[in-house]
Amino acid sequence: MKKNFIYLILFALAVITAAEMIGFQSVMVGSFSIGLLPLVFAIIITMVLGLNLFRKGFWKKVYSKENVDFAGKYLIFIMLPLMARYGADVAPKFGEILQIGWVFIAQEVGNLGTVLLGLPVALLLGLRREAIGATLGIGREGELAYISEKYTLDSDEGRGVLSLYIIGTLFGTIFFSIFAPLLLHFGFSIEALAMASGMGSGSMMSASSASLVAQVPEMESTILAYASASQLLTSFLGTFTMVFLAAPLQQLMYRLFVRGDKHAKHAA
Amino acid sequence: MQNMLRNSYIKYGLIILLSLGLILFTQFIKHLKNPDSMAVTGMTLAGLIVLWVFSMIGILISEKLKSSPVTFIREFPVLGWVSITSLVMCLISDFFVQAIQAVDFLSITTPILTFAGISVANRLVDLKNTSWKVAIVAVFVFSGTYIGSTLMAQIGLMLAGR
Repeated sequence: MKKNFIYLILFALAVITAAEMIGFQSVMVGSFSIGLLPLVFAIIITMVLGLNLFRKGFWKKVYSKENVDFAGKYLIFIMLPLMARYGADVAPKFGEILQIGWVFIAQEVGNLGTVLLGLPVALLLGLRREAIGATLGIGREGELAYISEKYTLDSDEGRGVLSLYIIGTLFGTIFFSIFAPLLLHFGFSIEALAMASGMGSGSMMSASSASLVAQVPEMESTILAYASASQLLTSFLGTFTMVFLAAPLQQLMYRLFVRGDKHAKHAA
Repeated sequence: MQNMLRNSYIKYGLIILLSLGLILFTQFIKHLKNPDSMAVTGMTLAGLIVLWVFSMIGILISEKLKSSPVTFIREFPVLGWVSITSLVMCLISDFFVQAIQAVDFLSITTPILTFAGISVANRLVDLKNTSWKVAIVAVFVFSGTYIGSTLMAQIGLMLAGR
């Protein structure tokens, strides 16, 4: 612990200060203006400085093995205050949420979009069994556990889900910080986007809901309440959606597409 | 000190304390930069204490249920238990809602993403082993779940007359 750990804390304080001083920045994506929050700058700064290229001298102490391991192992505990905060966001709107509870349940089914949109693209790119692992869900711990149990991680399916896990860990929050407000420009309602933010990953949910709040600050309480209620529901239902809906749908579509593929080759 | 850290609850308690300290720092800096943002008040401190207590209760529930015979309960994430604890307590007393809401939401997110960024530092090299194809697929997978859920929610809200 000790000395390097102090560096980690000081480094975190410095990154937070830098990110907050950059503050809220609007950038243009195509013809749409997207607000980037300090959290996006915080993750970009820490990732860039963590590149091996920079890890010399002082940075090597900050990004020491113990410090990086600490951040990874206890990230979940560092996130707990955020989860506790969500209770206060949901509570005042609890009645309203229960009234439209079925909408929350219905949008869970929307998580099948990973298979519906991802699988055809994966197959078109020439992926086969890897596509099973890479499109079952957003590749968080739930899918990782399911795939490793069913196929082991040292299989094509396993490599698919691991790759998605790594990409999601690295770029998921940045992706949703841009993607969520982008959809707002396509006419979707802020309530619907807020519900969709609860997709099963705590950091991705914070990034997308926070970016929505930045776009429509007057709706902050509704956005946070809907996003966290939906996130909580996903932690209850996510496994069931994956095992009983996503996995069978995926197998069906896989067989359909891959067989069609062979027919096409025969015809040619 | 070393002996104390062997007790996992004390360790968790200190880590959450660290997290709350960083949140307080962030809210302070944010207010310096933008005086319109939420200031640190006595209520903020009360809110931070409440967040600490709810987090610890959630951890306690999660640890105690690790020996539950039901797989689903055993594997239910600690993040979920903390949210449930907080939700129940906030439904019981409005004081908790007031206190917690004096903690600026965005100030909670910046420290978390700082640690998230540090935690992935050693994973960057793993990118070499992932194919560009999965990277493209990832864009569609992430878009897919988000668009899918948004569409279902949008249709549902329309049917519910909202």
